Amino acid sequence: MSNAIDIQDLVVEFPGARGGAVRALQGLSLSVAQGQVYGFLGPNGAGKTTTMHVLLGFIEATAGVARLFDEDVRQAIARRRIGYLPEHPDTYRFLTGRELLFMAGRLFGLSRAVLNARSAELLALVGLETAADRRLATYSRGMLQRIGLAQALVNDPDLVILDEPTSGLDPLGRIRIREIIAALRERGKTVFFSSHELSEVERVCDRVGILATGCLVAEGRMAELVKAGEPAVAGEPAIAGESLEQYFIRMVS
Amino acid sequence: MIRILTLAWLVWLEMIRRKDIYVLLILLAAFLVTLMALNLFGLGKAVSYLKEIGLLLAWVCSWILAVSVSARQLPQEERQGTIFPLLAKPVSRMEVLLGKWLGAWVVTGAATLVFYVLLAGMVALRGGSFGGVVLAQAWLLHLGLLAIITALGIAFSTRLHGDAASALTYVVTLAAWLVLPRVPDLALTARGAVQTGLMVIYYALPHLELFDLRRRLVYGWPPASGAAVLLTLVYGLLMAAVFLTLGWLAYRNKRFTRGALL
Repeated sequence: MSNAIDIQDLVVEFPGARGGAVRALQGLSLSVAQGQVYGFLGPNGAGKTTTMHVLLGFIEATAGVARLFDEDVRQAIARRRIGYLPEHPDTYRFLTGRELLFMAGRLFGLSRAVLNARSAELLALVGLETAADRRLATYSRGMLQRIGLAQALVNDPDLVILDEPTSGLDPLGRIRIREIIAALRERGKTVFFSSHELSEVERVCDRVGILATGCLVAEGRMAELVKAGEPAVAGEPAIAGESLEQYFIRMVS
Repeated sequence: MIRILTLAWLVWLEMIRRKDIYVLLILLAAFLVTLMALNLFGLGKAVSYLKEIGLLLAWVCSWILAVSVSARQLPQEERQGTIFPLLAKPVSRMEVLLGKWLGAWVVTGAATLVFYVLLAGMVALRGGSFGGVVLAQAWLLHLGLLAIITALGIAFSTRLHGDAASALTYVVTLAAWLVLPRVPDLALTARGAVQTGLMVIYYALPHLELFDLRRRLVYGWPPASGAAVLLTLVYGLLMAAVFLTLGWLAYRNKRFTRGALL
């Protein structure tokens, strides 16, 4: 079975001052097996969103290879089996929640009949049945995040990429997102998500990668990563009694 | 095709809900009612002045609408961040351009039809009429013209801010409309490279004057030949395809990073 995500020696450079270049990613390599919940951690500016943007085809890498289910990310076909929730839940404010799901589903080529059933199911999943026919302009930030998650799941994706999915949510909203991620894992889906909330990551992730200045500084199974003396797959082992938060701070400092 | 139509549907829905078209329609109706009420230069009884000014207003309104709608589509997606979930779907960038163009073209074409119907109604109230076939031909050719203008707006907006793309589209279309037909006269007085350059511009830029049947409508001339109308329409669609292809070349490798256009 192929990996959901395969990244090899990825380099991304952005134009810098005076004709120079700024390296956002410096030879990043990582793989995410199918069915895993992978937490992608790192401080602001570490390159998490850039990595996701390469995977989604928003930016082309300067060097290296990125593949989704063995398809080159530069091909539109690679995005057939994925769902994506951006960090900022921006959307078409003139649409209603139901229309947004309809539009997203049509872009995946789903028929009207399938979409009607799927929309009802997703609106119930994110708890927005009563607001389904309201314009998105009237939604709160938390509601936009939830409808964003619903549109990310409209095609029943095998890989869900979530960029800071719990940011801006109240505690109930966070619990709901955690439950949805757990439900996705139970159904054998792969979830790749970035977060600053280490407690969230500890609760839901099977595997964690820590990124700093465009390099993967530590990676391993959640249980191994913070176990004293056990070498992580990459990076230094944890010190006895060290929490994920303490380990994270040590790795990125 | 379903993806292109879905993106076009998004443009239509936005236009209806933003009510831009209604504003232009009300403005046009207000102008025409004013014209009917006034007896400018003692021409109050002549229907032809109403036709001429009404058609000019319809052209200007559809031109403004076509430029403003098409040039804002892509920059708006980037500014609002909606381009990210959109491109995360299995949608190619060519499909994005085609969907946006089709949406802008159809919406401005439909608005132009309403302008024509409104004008024909006003003229009928004044006791005049348009030739039905010529009116249909005029609208069809107007569609061809709008295909070019919307394609230009989309193409410029692949790399420019919405305002800059609008301004550039206005300048290019106005130059093509007013200056281009005079270029051969200018070329006759020029020599060497300048003359060649002028002729290259003459053939490379779209000839918008070909789409203008207003005189036939105003003076009640007979319809143009069907073959000529068809060929002009094909020319319009070909020019639109050229501009969309150039837009795609600029857009296909564009990097999207949040806040790039803010």
